[in-house]
Parts: sequence; structure tokens; C-alpha cells
Amino acid sequence: MELDDLKSIWKQDKPGFEPKKEAEIASMIKGRSNSIISKLKRSVWFELIFTIVCGIVFGVYALTLESGALMWTIISLIVLFVSYLFYYVKKIVLLNKFDSSTENLKNSLQHLSERLTTYLNFYKKSYAILYPVYFCLGLLFGAMERGIDDFLHRLSQPKTILYLIVLAGIFFVCTILITNWYLKKLYGNHLDKLKELLNELQG
Amino acid sequence: MFQEIVLQLWKSFPTFRGESKITTWMYRIALNTAISGLRKLGRKIKTEELDEYHFNISESPEDHREDDLQKLQWAIRQLTEIERAMIMMALDEVPYGEIAETIGITQNNVRVRMNRIREKIRNLIR
Repeated sequence: MELDDLKSIWKQDKPGFEPKKEAEIASMIKGRSNSIISKLKRSVWFELIFTIVCGIVFGVYALTLESGALMWTIISLIVLFVSYLFYYVKKIVLLNKFDSSTENLKNSLQHLSERLTTYLNFYKKSYAILYPVYFCLGLLFGAMERGIDDFLHRLSQPKTILYLIVLAGIFFVCTILITNWYLKKLYGNHLDKLKELLNELQG
Repeated sequence: MFQEIVLQLWKSFPTFRGESKITTWMYRIALNTAISGLRKLGRKIKTEELDEYHFNISESPEDHREDDLQKLQWAIRQLTEIERAMIMMALDEVPYGEIAETIGITQNNVRVRMNRIREKIRNLIR
């Protein structure tokens, strides 16, 4: 069976493509893109704006406080929010680089695969940094609650040190495992699929 | 999917520099949106095995033509996504040069792959 035979079969009874009306096309291009990249961008923008609004509200509230543990807690949260802003901006920059729709399929797959790998590595690294920050903040709030002297006294005891090391280890391992599992579930399959397609093209 | 492709074409049009044919450019966008666009995975397309009944049911020449078309459509569904994209372009009379440009491989490679695809289809609908 030659290609021409297949073409002649293909053309049998094939309903011709009906050109879409102008109004129909116009309504299509007004719609929002439903690609996962567009959805990711929208959710990151939402998180960014939400963080800014929360930061401003917390900042204004902190100004009304004279001093004390609550004020320092709020200030530390604002510092954390600022670090999150850099994180979100970096994520948006990475997501904006995802558009390779005008390249040929092979290049597009190659670039998508590379960029998705970079994005996932960045995601993992940022969480690997943020989790210890959360842990230290937890310790700081504990110290504030108990009083610095009492906290330092407890911290000098070997039993407390061992307890904190075990706790930090469990916290770190669990969070890394959860992050990896979550990322694998969300994007890992897609990355595998992209690599599979790329291998097929290169093979 | 059609709307997504139209949207991508609309968004990407300002970047069209006329270096390639407009149809090649459109195929690129459509293929990239359909194949490499991020999408939820895990749900496999349900395909149905054709049994003897499907292959032998027709009597009249018109029914035969209908059957041939159905068999071809079924065979195309059994191909990989890239093979499917290539055969669809070929069936739509897209020249090998344009297929090569859209996919990003050489014309010779297109020719070799098309032979393999044709062979695969022939075995599937035999």
C-alpha cells in the first residue's frame, strides 16, 4: 500500500473543513488560554499579589504595635514575604521563557524539556532553603515565648540538642520527600513524556 | 484544543517574520500546542480493538470505502504522536520539505520515517 493509496482513502467521504465565522474566531481569541503554563502563570500572579497585600496589611498592623514578641513575629513574617516575592518573580520569569511554540517541534521539545528541568530544580532548591528557614523561625518564636535565657539554658543540654537534631532531620526529610512527590505528580510525568518524544525524534 | 491552537496562533502572529511559509508556521504552532503543550496526563485515550466483525461487515462498494477509511483512522490512532503528526501532514498533501521544517528533521529522515509509518499502517490494516 503506497502513500497515494492512503491519501485516496483519506479523501473519501472526508468532510471538508468548514471555515469558522469571524465572530466565532473573535470569541475564541478573547478567551483565556487553558494550557497548564498559562494556568501556572495565573496562579503564581495570584500568589504574588496575595503576598504583597498580606505584607502591606501585616506591615500596617506592626506599626501600631509598640514592641514585643508579636511585633517581631510579624516583622519576621514580612521578611519571609519579601523573600517569597523574589521567588515568585523568578518563577514568572522562568514561566515566561516557556513559550517555544514558534520553533520546530524538535527544538520546542528540547527547550521545553530543558526549561521544565530548570524550573523543577529551582522549585526543589527554593524549598530546600525555605524549610530550614521555617525551622529556625519556629525555634526563634519558641525562644521568644520562653524567654531567651531559659531557651539558651535548655539549648545547652545534650538531650535538647539531640531532640532538635532528630526533629530537624525528620522535618527536613519529610518536607523534601513531600515536595519531590508533589512535583513528580504535577510535572514529572510530563517531563518524562517530553523526553520520550524527544528520544523518538532523535532516534 | 482547536480554540487553544487559534489562541496560540493569534498570540504568536506578531513574531511571524515571514522566513518560512505561513502554512509551515501554522503547522508548527498547532503541532507544538497539541504535542508538547503541557497538559494533564494519566488519562489514556480509550481505543477499541477492531475484531473480525469490524473488518468483514461491509457488502457494497460504498461500505467498503467507508470501512477502508475507518480502518485507516483506527490504524493512525495506533501510531505514536509524532508518527501520527507526520502521516496527517502527508495525507494533507504537505510536501516532505515542509514536514521536515515543521518537525525539525532532515528531508531524508522524513522519507525514511514515512516508509516505516506506511509499513506500520499496512501491517495494522492488513
